[in-house]
Amino acid sequence: MFNTLNEAFLYELKSINNSWYKLFLITVLPIISFILIIAIFRTGVIRDLPIVVVDNDKSKLSHMLLTNIEASPTMQILAMPNSTKEAIDLVKSTKAYAIIVIPNHFLKNTLLGKQPQVTAMLNTQYILIGKILTSVLTSTVMESSAQVEYVKNLVDIQNPEATIHSIAPIGLQITPFFNMYQNYFYFLVSSLLPAIWQIFIVIATLVSIGVIFKSKKEKIFFKETKYVGARLMGLMLPYTIAFVLLGTGYLFYIFSMWEFQGSFTILLFGMFLTVVAYQVIALLIFATGFDYARSLSLGAVYTAPAFAFLGITFPIYNMNTFALFWRDILPVSHYIQLQLSQANYGANIFLEIDKLLTLFAFWLLFIPVVLLFKKKLKKEMS
Amino acid sequence: MNFLTTFKNEAKLIFSDAAIVLTIIGGVILYSFLYPQPYAKQSISALSVSVVDYDKSDVSRSIIFKLNTTPQITITRNDLSQRDAKKALVRGDIKAIIVIPKNFKRNLALNISPTIAVGADSSYFLIYGGVLEGAMKSVLTQSATIKVANLLKKQVPLVGAKESYTPYSLNTINLFNKNNSYTQYVVPAVFILILQQTILIGLGILGGGINERMARKRNKTKEDEYFETAHIWQMYLSRIIIFLSIFFVHMLFYFGYSFEHFEVTRLVNIPDLLTFGFAFLIASISFGLFLGSLFASREIATPVVLFSSLPLVFSAGFVWPLESLPSAIYYLSQLVPSTPAIHGFLSLNQMGASFSMIVNSYALLWLQSIVYLVLASIIFLKKRNSLCC
Repeated sequence: MFNTLNEAFLYELKSINNSWYKLFLITVLPIISFILIIAIFRTGVIRDLPIVVVDNDKSKLSHMLLTNIEASPTMQILAMPNSTKEAIDLVKSTKAYAIIVIPNHFLKNTLLGKQPQVTAMLNTQYILIGKILTSVLTSTVMESSAQVEYVKNLVDIQNPEATIHSIAPIGLQITPFFNMYQNYFYFLVSSLLPAIWQIFIVIATLVSIGVIFKSKKEKIFFKETKYVGARLMGLMLPYTIAFVLLGTGYLFYIFSMWEFQGSFTILLFGMFLTVVAYQVIALLIFATGFDYARSLSLGAVYTAPAFAFLGITFPIYNMNTFALFWRDILPVSHYIQLQLSQANYGANIFLEIDKLLTLFAFWLLFIPVVLLFKKKLKKEMS
Repeated sequence: MNFLTTFKNEAKLIFSDAAIVLTIIGGVILYSFLYPQPYAKQSISALSVSVVDYDKSDVSRSIIFKLNTTPQITITRNDLSQRDAKKALVRGDIKAIIVIPKNFKRNLALNISPTIAVGADSSYFLIYGGVLEGAMKSVLTQSATIKVANLLKKQVPLVGAKESYTPYSLNTINLFNKNNSYTQYVVPAVFILILQQTILIGLGILGGGINERMARKRNKTKEDEYFETAHIWQMYLSRIIIFLSIFFVHMLFYFGYSFEHFEVTRLVNIPDLLTFGFAFLIASISFGLFLGSLFASREIATPVVLFSSLPLVFSAGFVWPLESLPSAIYYLSQLVPSTPAIHGFLSLNQMGASFSMIVNSYALLWLQSIVYLVLASIIFLKKRNSLCC
C-alpha cells in the first residue's frame, strides 16, 4: 500500500513539474492573490476621508470647530459648499462621505446657553466608513464643546480639576481586548488570506484529479481497482505539503507584525487538518460527476462565498439557521476560530479539542470518496 | 457562412456545455440565494455583556440599568471579579466587560471624576463598535443627569439647565441605508460582482475550449472546422446576443425579485437602471470575450475569475475607501467593469444619485467595452492564424 501511495505521489510530482499551470496554482497565483489583499489594506488605518462643511454661521466659534475637525487625521475638508443640497449632491456622487452643517447663530446661541446643534449627515451606505466618521465626528464635536465649557466654567469655579469634573463627571476608559492595534489590516487580512487560501486548495485538488480524467489517464494512474484510497492520498500529498507551507507562510507574515498569544503547534496542526479536509471535500465534489469543468463550477459555488460566512465582519450569533449550517460545512470557519483563539487568547488545547475534532470529522468523507471512485473505475475497467 | 448558421453553432456550443450552463444559469440563481444568507437578519442585535460592580451603590445600579436599556447591550452576567468575567469572555459567553470601580458614588460626590472601564473584543469590529456606542450613550446620559442636577443646585431653572449642560451638541443623520443594514451594504455590490464573474466564467470556458480545440492537431471534427472558418464578428456578435439576453433577464431578476425579497432599497428609476445596466452587461461580455481569447483551455477561467473576486470586492471602494487604496491597485481595479459598475449602481440605486453624477462610470464602461472587444478580436485572429490554417 505504501508503495502505491509513493508511486502516485511521484507521479503527481512529475506532473506538477511538467505543467506550469499546476505549478502556478500552488505558487505564483496564491502568492499574487495574497499580495493583492495585503496591498489593498496595507495602510491599515483609514485617513483623510473627504467631508464637506456647510458653515451657516461663519463666526469665530464655527472657525474653531472647523480647525478641530481639520486636525483629525481621519478626515479632511474637501469643500465648503453654500447649501446643504449642494453638499448632498457631493455625497451622492461619492466625492465626499459626510456633511457637517453648522447652524445659523451658532456663536450667539452658544453664548446664550441655548445649546445649538451641529448636524452631521453621513453616507451610511458604506457602513464601515460611516461608523468611523460617526465616532470621529462625535468625539471631535464633544471635545470642542468641552473646551468651550472648560473656559466658561473656569471663570466660575477657579479650580482646573473641579472644572474638569464639572464637564465630565464620569470618565470612560475603553480597552480593546486582543486586537490591541485597532487596525483593520490585522482584522481583515488575517481572515481574508485563509478565505482565499481555501479556494486554492479546492481548485488545485480538482485540477490534479480532473486532468487525469480529462486526458483519460485514469487507467494509467489507478492501474487497478485496489488501493484506490492509497493512490488518492499519494495524489493529494504534494498539495497538502504545498498548502500547509503557504498557510505557514501567511501566518508568519501576519504574526511577525502582530502579537501571537498561543501555540503555533496547535494552530499548524489545525491547519494541516483543514487542508486535508478541503482536499477530501474537493474529491467528493469531483466524484459527484467525474466531470472536470463542472466540478470546478461546483467548487466555485462552495468556496467563493466563504468569507461572508466566517463571522468576522458580521457576527455569527446574528446569522440565520441556513447561514449557520453553511458556515459549519466550510472547514475554514472552524479553522478561523482556532486561529483567533490561539492568536488572541492563547487558549489551551482542551478548549480547542472541539474545533480540531470538527475539522477531523471532514476526513471521514474520504470513505464515500473511495467508494465512488472504486465504482467508477470498476465500470471503466470492465 | 451566413450569420444564422454561426448563431446556431454558437448557441449549440453554449447550451450543450454543462459547465457553462451550470454557471450562467444555475450558478447565478444559486448565488443570489446563498450570498445574502449571512446578513439575512440585517443588523446586529444586543451583545451579551458582563458587569463587575465593585461599588454596589444606587448610582452604580442606575448606570447598569441605563446600560441594559441601550439597544446594543444586554447584561447577561454579574461577576464578582474581573478574572471571572475574563474567563467567560474567553469561553465566548460574553463579548465585553464593564467595570464600575470601588467608591464610585463617593468620588462622584467629592467631585473626583471616577472612571468606568469598558473592555471589548476588538477582533470583530461590529461587536466592538456596538459595545462602545452603547457604553458611551449611557455614560453620557448619566453625566448629563449629574450636570443638570449640579446646575439646579446653582439655582438655574430646570429648562435652562437642560439646555445648557453642554455648550453645543452633535446631531447625526444617516443619509442612506438609515438602519445600518448589512444586507443593504453588501448585497447590491456583491450581486453586480456575481453577474460579472458568471459572465466571465461562461465566456472564459467557451473561449478557452475553442482555443484548446484549435490547438489540437489530431481527430479534427466538423465542429473544429467551424472555429477555423467562421467570421469573427459573427461569432462574437452571436455570443453577445446570447449572453446579453440571458443576463438581461438575470439582471431584472436580481434588481427586481431578489432586491424585493431581501428588502433592499430601490431608488433608481427604471430607464436609468436599464441604460446603466446595458452598458455594464456589454462591458462584462466584452471583457469575457477578451479573457476567453487568452485562455488556453476550458479549465483556466473558473480559477482565475474565482481568485480575483475578493480583491475586486475590496478594491471597489464600498468597504475600504478608495482614498486608502494604493494607487497601483486603484488603477488596476479600474480595468475591470465591476469597479465602475458597483460605483454607478450604488450611487443610482442606494443613494438616489442622478445619472449625470455617475456619467464618468458610464463612460468608462463603454470605453472598456470597445477596448476589450478589439483586443479579443485581434488575439483570437492571431491565435487562429498561428494554430491552424
